[in-house]
Order: sequence, then structure tokens, then C-alpha cells
Amino acid sequence: MVQNLFYGGFVALTLGAGLYVAIGQNLIRSAFALFFTLCGVAGLYVLLAGDFIAMIQLMVYAGGIAVLLAFGAMLTHKVDDPQHSNLLVNGFLSFISGTAFFSLLFYVLTESSWRVKAEALSEPTTKEIGKLLLKEYVLPFEVVSFLLLVAMIGAVYLVQKGENQTQKGDRP
Amino acid sequence: MTLTNLLAISTALFALGTVMFLTRKNSIALLMGIELLMNAAALNFVAFSYYSPSLNHPLDGQVFALFIIMVAVAEAVVALGIAIAVYKEYAHVDADQLTELQG
Repeated sequence: MVQNLFYGGFVALTLGAGLYVAIGQNLIRSAFALFFTLCGVAGLYVLLAGDFIAMIQLMVYAGGIAVLLAFGAMLTHKVDDPQHSNLLVNGFLSFISGTAFFSLLFYVLTESSWRVKAEALSEPTTKEIGKLLLKEYVLPFEVVSFLLLVAMIGAVYLVQKGENQTQKGDRP
Repeated sequence: MTLTNLLAISTALFALGTVMFLTRKNSIALLMGIELLMNAAALNFVAFSYYSPSLNHPLDGQVFALFIIMVAVAEAVVALGIAIAVYKEYAHVDADQLTELQG
């Protein structure tokens, strides 16, 4: 009962904020609505027995990426004027194609019979995920850590490169 | 709270991300659409891991969702770095006007 109540709340939060992200006109408001969407998905993870992944979702997505995107939205020229900064193009066609896409996938997933076994137990998963990451998935884990290092260096390089050029350009 | 229900939610998130990706010109808005798509995929993994866990590895879906989050972080960081570099060069981040290589 309580679980269903929380489930409905998280679903409403996710889909409502997601709808606002998708069709809202103001980019800053979209960024904050995205924050609430990510929090709703984290709540769904908690209900699906993924405590560790819900915390990672909250820290990395809601704490990191949403703030980063809100910062990126400030780069938009005249962000308070959607007609100028965040125009919807092909709105009608995209709405039709999005609805058709959703209807097709919804039809497929309601018609197919998924094999549902016993539901997983809601017990702490951090220890088991740590074991999996350092035993069976140790190679993908290391590759991802290398990817993160490359992404960090690449981002610093990209940003700094522009600064050097403008400094050179400024010099007489 | 059933598997079909959760898959429908994930599908709705995916469709919203697709619509956002199709309708926007601003590259930051395109990034937000990609984040919605990634979240839909990760939600699918966790839902399947909960409702039909494999016998010996019940947590594999969550590990895959973790990898999706890590890759999404790398993608967001590099994309925002590119957006800042583009902004310094052109003073806008409008994806439709970046046509210098169009010939």
C-alpha cells in the first residue's frame, strides 16, 4: 500500500517533470525540471531494490549533471525569450512521430509475455555490486575509469584551448 | 507496480527524449534530451534486474545501469566542454547555425 503510494508519486514526478523538460520553452526551467525527473528516477530505483544505484543517481545525475546543464543553459543568448533562444522546430511532426513511436513500443511491450521470476529481495546491494565490479566486471570498470580520465583531460583541453586563442587574439 | 508498467514509464521517457532531440535547435537542450534517453535505458536495466533476476548473477542489471551512468557522465562533460568552446568562438550554441564545414 505504502509502496504503491510512493510508486505513484515517483512516477508522477518523473513523467510530469519529463514532460515539462520536453515541451517547456524556457531552457533554465527545463534544466530545473530535469533535476526533478532525475530525482524521480532515483526514487524508482529505490523501489526496485537498487539502493546503491539510487544514491549514485542522486549524486552524479541530480547533483552533477543537472547543475552542469543549468550552467550550460546560461550560455544561451537571451534565455528568457524562448522565441529567440529555444525555438521549437517541426513541433507538429515531431509530436506525431513521438506519439507513434511510443504507441508502437507500448503495443510491443504489452503484447509480449515477459518472463517474470521471483522478485529480487530488497537487501543492501552495495557489497555485492562492489564484488561484481572488482571480480567479473573488472576490465569494463578499468576501461570506464580510463574513459573518465580521458574525458576530464579532453574537457579541460577543449575549454583551455579557446582561452589561449582569445588571449592571443587580444594581444596587439 | 509491475514490469509492464515500469517498461511503459521507461518508454514514455524515451519518447520524450526523442521528441526533445527532434524539436530543439539549442545544443544544451539536445544534451538534456540525451540525458532523458540514457535514464530511460538505465531504468529498463534496473527494472529487468528486479523482476527477472538471473539465477547466479541477480545484480548484473544494476551494474550495467552503473556503467550507463558513468558513460553518460563522460559524455556530458565532453559535450559541455565543446559547448563552451563553441560559445567562445561564435557567442552562441545554436546547433543549426554551426555550418562552417558545410561547403
